[in-house]
Amino acid sequence: MNRLRSLLQSSEFVVFLGLLAVAGFFALNSPVFLTRFNLLNILLQSSIQGIVAIGMTFVILTAGIDLSVGSVVALSGVIMALLLHAGVPVWAVLLLNFAFGVLVGVFHAFSITRIGMAPFIVTLATMAMARGLTMVLSDGKTIFDFPPEFEFFGAGQIGPIAVAVIIFLLYALLAELLLRGTVLGRNIYAVGSNPRAAALSGIRTERVLYFVYIVSGFSCALAGLVLTGRLGAAMPTAAMGYELDAIAAVIIGGASLMGGKGTILGTVIGVLLIGVINNGMNLMNVPPFWQSFLKGAVIYLAVMIDSLKNRQREG
Amino acid sequence: MPAPLLETQDLTKTFPGVVALNKVSLRLHAGEVLGLVGENGAGKSTLIKILGGVYPPSSGRVLLSGREIRFQGPKDALDAGIAVVYQELSLIPHLSVAENVFINRLPRRGVLVDWRRLERMAREVLAEVGLSDLDPRTPLAELPIGVQQSVEIARALSYRARVLLLDEPTSSLTEPEVENLFQILSRLKAQGIGILYVSHHLEEIFEITDRLHILRDGRTVAVLETASTHEDEVIARMVGRDLGQVLPEQRGQPGEVVLETRGLGDRFLKEVSVRFRRGEVVGIYGLLGSGRTELLKALVGARRPLAGEVRLFGRPVRFSHPHDAARQGVVYSSEDRKGENLFFGFPVWKNATYQAIQIGRFVRLGVPQARAERRAVAELAERLNLKAPSLDADVYHLSGGNQQKVCLAKALLSEPEVFLLDEPTRGIDVGAKLEVYQLMAELARAGKAVVFVSSELPELIANSDRVYTMARGRVTAELTGDAITEENVLKHCLEVETA
Repeated sequence: MNRLRSLLQSSEFVVFLGLLAVAGFFALNSPVFLTRFNLLNILLQSSIQGIVAIGMTFVILTAGIDLSVGSVVALSGVIMALLLHAGVPVWAVLLLNFAFGVLVGVFHAFSITRIGMAPFIVTLATMAMARGLTMVLSDGKTIFDFPPEFEFFGAGQIGPIAVAVIIFLLYALLAELLLRGTVLGRNIYAVGSNPRAAALSGIRTERVLYFVYIVSGFSCALAGLVLTGRLGAAMPTAAMGYELDAIAAVIIGGASLMGGKGTILGTVIGVLLIGVINNGMNLMNVPPFWQSFLKGAVIYLAVMIDSLKNRQREG
Repeated sequence: MPAPLLETQDLTKTFPGVVALNKVSLRLHAGEVLGLVGENGAGKSTLIKILGGVYPPSSGRVLLSGREIRFQGPKDALDAGIAVVYQELSLIPHLSVAENVFINRLPRRGVLVDWRRLERMAREVLAEVGLSDLDPRTPLAELPIGVQQSVEIARALSYRARVLLLDEPTSSLTEPEVENLFQILSRLKAQGIGILYVSHHLEEIFEITDRLHILRDGRTVAVLETASTHEDEVIARMVGRDLGQVLPEQRGQPGEVVLETRGLGDRFLKEVSVRFRRGEVVGIYGLLGSGRTELLKALVGARRPLAGEVRLFGRPVRFSHPHDAARQGVVYSSEDRKGENLFFGFPVWKNATYQAIQIGRFVRLGVPQARAERRAVAELAERLNLKAPSLDADVYHLSGGNQQKVCLAKALLSEPEVFLLDEPTRGIDVGAKLEVYQLMAELARAGKAVVFVSSELPELIANSDRVYTMARGRVTAELTGDAITEENVLKHCLEVETA
């Protein structure tokens, strides 16, 4: 009984209802929306955003932020493209790519914990630096022509399901298990909720921060791999604005920018909500400028409902 | 008879599932101090929050000088002349003292803040609370918590309030500061200000109040003239039963030295040499800024010592983080429950096991075993008489005393050999205090080393086998047995001040 009530009151459930409502609206207004092809397509399109948003969830849980994600995804794509063209074998390219993602995270965490810089500023700087490097390395041009075993991660299919979708869902599952079920996961919530109490309780808060920024960097590298494979090309302008969609998805999913609150399940639902809105509006031929406006309005609405609900509970 | 200055009529407040206040009618006259007493959860804080405009009442009325008033928020209450000093500080750490006092009301010259006038105004108000020596430009965070509380009282005074509500104002003040506060209150009283005074310290209540309003389970159970009642009657009314004032009788047997320091020093501490034995409760007493909290933090590695050494079981140790200390059986429990000890928004059981899971208790292969944790917390909650709606309840919603018990549970569940407890009875009610004393004695009997900091002399003296006094970062005396008297303790805290 109690479990049921807490489920019904959870942020995730409310967003899930929102997702159903929006999907219902599109289903009534577009004959194509509910087809299997379209639903799988939504999942596929959400998967790259979703991988980035999972990394963002870790960071936001500690009351941090990672604005660099879009640029890092693009830089990861260009780095892999250049390595492939230089004749480096695919397995080594993957390895180097992930190492690059981890390195970005280490750089962020070092700047935040050791130098004492604010996460917003550090990652704003890397956002610009990574985008700049992307342009420099690619000379502003799109790079394509990759081996098929490389493109498998973004464009491959296993049965009817795209490999990208499988990667996204497995990654989400792994992340949720880590956050819910491990000491490290609990410590992430604690550091976000009250860092001073966390340290005095014996939590090595610096290590926790290193971990979450590394997860975010790694997620960008993974998303870069999937995106480049899917497009069959590394574009220096790829993944523009991903940081904002990722943050929006995390917040829609019930997380708090103050840290200590949020789940991967919520983020996944948030990502799907944004994906459904994008897809539905395209199907209904909503002009792009209005799409942006409507998406913003939905984000506002979702967060407003959650805030009102929380205020009621306090009161 | 004139209308009372402040009156409530059948004031009721319900929260989902709880009636926090049940038809409470209270009268506060101009120029009197009315004590509001009751156990944890009796409804004192709720009443204060309604009067301070934080909560709207569910039903009932509030009258100021006979006229009904309704508040939309705390600012309305302030404008009406009702100022509140809450138990938990509501100041902004990185702003200066002056800015904190006059926040929202900074004097201006044109569009800029008139810093000189601000400083002058702040000095005037600070003098009223005996802080005339304090530079108003000092960042608040640099002050000890007790001085911060005085600043908060100064801020309340600065509103020229007609009604002053004080919620546990002395919970972090030392004796001289309490005396100082009482002088201020007497002055305000003479000026015709009505003061509602909430406290768990019955001695204080008897010293400062004219009348007493006693709450139990959200209802008024008695309104008494302070002069014609006595402590036992008040306690009996509060708890609804007779409570023998039991202090722990049985003491532990002092055994081997577990933890000791030799010439420990850092930016604040100077040549601190102390030793703690098994089976012993050691009290540490010092005025604000004496270094008592700093010492405990240095012992667990939350501060880096620059000189001297720490020995655990005779072996030199260098904890670089409280994590290392916890692993080796030394834990610190902070006095600042909200800021440094608990995770508000998280359930009771998770709060209670946060320290334990860091050192591998209840953990298998990096995975905390929630079932084992809950069982252990449930057992401990029973033993500590911890009252919570459920173990899943948000720790934020518990009363101060029950929050403190969660803090103690957190320390206990990591099964240390040395307990460093900073003000473990701060802001909690009589019943809960007795339980904390019992627990400390029990731990000592079980062979643990128990160290506690206290600002309350009677409790320090009644519960310590040995006392260290501190002043200005130094240990000024070690007292044992009959030498532990109020006079002695105070003398050793003050002598350095005058030297």
